[in-house]
Amino acid sequence: MSILKIKNVHLKIENKPILKGISLSVNKGEIHAVMGPNGSGKSTLSYMLAGREGYELESGEVKFENKDITSFLPNERANAGLFLAFQYPVELPGVSSVNFLREAVNSRRKYLGKEEFNHLNFVKEVRKVADEMFVKDEMLKRSVNVGFSGGEKKRFEILQMALLQPVLSILDETDSGLDIDALKIVSHGVNKYKNNDNAIILITHYQRLLDYIVPDFVHILVDGEIKRSGGPELAKYVEKNGYAGIINAA
Amino acid sequence: MQHKPNEQFKSKLEKFVNDNFEDKFLRKNFLNRFNSWPSSKIESWKLSRLGKLSRKEISPLLPNESDFDKNIKFLKRSYSLVFYDGIYRESLSDKLPENIEISFFEIKELEEFLNKCGNQEILSHPTLNITASCAKNYLKIKIKKNFSLDLPLEIIQYGGDSKHSIHPLILVELEENSALNLIQLYKSSSALIAPLEIVKVGKNSNLEIVKIFDDSDYCHNLSLTIKIIEENSECKSFNLIKGGAFSRSENHVFLKGESSSVDLNGVYLSSDDQHHDLTSVIYHNVPNCRSSQKVRGVLNNNSSGVFQGKVVVEKNAQKSDAHQMSRVLLLSDKANSNSKPELEIYADDVICSHGATVGELDEDQIFYLLSRGLNKEKAQHIMIDAFLTEIIEDSINAIYLENIKNETILGFKKILET
Repeated sequence: MSILKIKNVHLKIENKPILKGISLSVNKGEIHAVMGPNGSGKSTLSYMLAGREGYELESGEVKFENKDITSFLPNERANAGLFLAFQYPVELPGVSSVNFLREAVNSRRKYLGKEEFNHLNFVKEVRKVADEMFVKDEMLKRSVNVGFSGGEKKRFEILQMALLQPVLSILDETDSGLDIDALKIVSHGVNKYKNNDNAIILITHYQRLLDYIVPDFVHILVDGEIKRSGGPELAKYVEKNGYAGIINAA
Repeated sequence: MQHKPNEQFKSKLEKFVNDNFEDKFLRKNFLNRFNSWPSSKIESWKLSRLGKLSRKEISPLLPNESDFDKNIKFLKRSYSLVFYDGIYRESLSDKLPENIEISFFEIKELEEFLNKCGNQEILSHPTLNITASCAKNYLKIKIKKNFSLDLPLEIIQYGGDSKHSIHPLILVELEENSALNLIQLYKSSSALIAPLEIVKVGKNSNLEIVKIFDDSDYCHNLSLTIKIIEENSECKSFNLIKGGAFSRSENHVFLKGESSSVDLNGVYLSSDDQHHDLTSVIYHNVPNCRSSQKVRGVLNNNSSGVFQGKVVVEKNAQKSDAHQMSRVLLLSDKANSNSKPELEIYADDVICSHGATVGELDEDQIFYLLSRGLNKEKAQHIMIDAFLTEIIEDSINAIYLENIKNETILGFKKILET
């Protein structure tokens, strides 16, 4: 069953073409890795999917669970089950982490027609999931991402994913800036959340993350185009030979 | 005789004083000092112009016994003093404990006080002169020595109409070693309310004042407060300005006794064509005093906000500690904010600082919240709340912190709606 279908997407930023005809199809239960060098359009792809202002399509199609979402606002996409884990999670000074999480979870529950959590029930729920994701109680008392280490920020993103139970998660360079222990913790979180009804797009520079979260498909994005797609072995090939081989071959 | 717009009020004022007061000759000193509304050429009124006020055809209201019988309290547990049409209404107010004395005082006492101040800026202030000229009576609230009031005291201003001005005049005096939490609520329906308040804090005393400006949307509020703080005393004040067409809270503070301190914080929430203004002059008269001003403003639509804070450190006022910080959030590119800090320092061993920032809501922060399913209004709401919470928690006593937070939330919800 298709979760995401991107067809021939073109996108310009400040009149400069960034995505030049991307197509990608993601089905339930699949993990896709999108790899590519700096400036290839990886983060643009994730912002485009999340619906950020300024990242509107020039042409092409984006269907999420068979619905055209190109006119959906970012919050409408999120409520429908599309989640973006940020490469650089944003600090929100003065916004309590627990309240932030509750607002997010309740927005999604409301959309799904489920009962919203009150503060007390939510705290119970969050403690349980936070524990599984190795997020310390003390972190939840702070302002969102304020004073968090790089690893804590990424863990907090994964905690949000686990609480929101999205259909599709786009993890934008979730591995960047993590040491090996932090990488293991984050990967553990992702693997725990993953099941046959959802899907993940991993956006990454390096093969390293793919040792812990094993993708079904690997796509190499270079200069706004997917130059090659394949299985996990493609990532290993890139790790060994760099992107140059693929760029030259294409 | 045909008057220019700016002189209209002067002639109405003269007539009002002549017609209504037996002691009119005593009031003449004040009356004579007011000729017209200050022009924008006068420095302290440059950023807050009174053109619209001078074009209003208004006259002072002659308060009468009214059928207003509401005793609306802001807090559930408090002592409230209700003013209607600018006049204290005993029948609508709570009975106070013995150690608080309510009385009326003479114009002579006011003059003596002002002469002692000898401050030209105050003597020429329109609020002082019009309100001292035409206030029906001068009310004094005295907290006696060694007394701390167990509950907050509320002073609520109601009444007035769109054709008239109202003129409450209050002196609050804390004798030595006393303490008071005071909440003042301006909810008038008058064209102009010009509250004159004199606050004396005696030695070793502690006063906290919260003022909420929430007058009707056509109202001009020209509040003037003069504070004298004696040795070892503390005065913590907070202004929440959200109502009125034009609301200015102006404070002149004299740190007269050593080791005294004043906090003069505020939040303004403005939209449509509202103009909100926090103006202050703080005099460090003696050594070892502290003053702090923290202001946050949120402006939407065509509104404008002003913070002008002057700190004067006199020559012998060594070890003075004075800080000012103003931060403003603009929600519309038509809104406009002015911040004018001024330091006049004549002593050489002082710590003084000031700063001001103006910005918009951060796009990255808003997008982060949107991407978590919150709609745009909710995202803005959360970021504005975060912007204001720190200063409110810093300024407000726990007894009524939640009430002030709620008032603030109502205030910024309203400006987001418009």
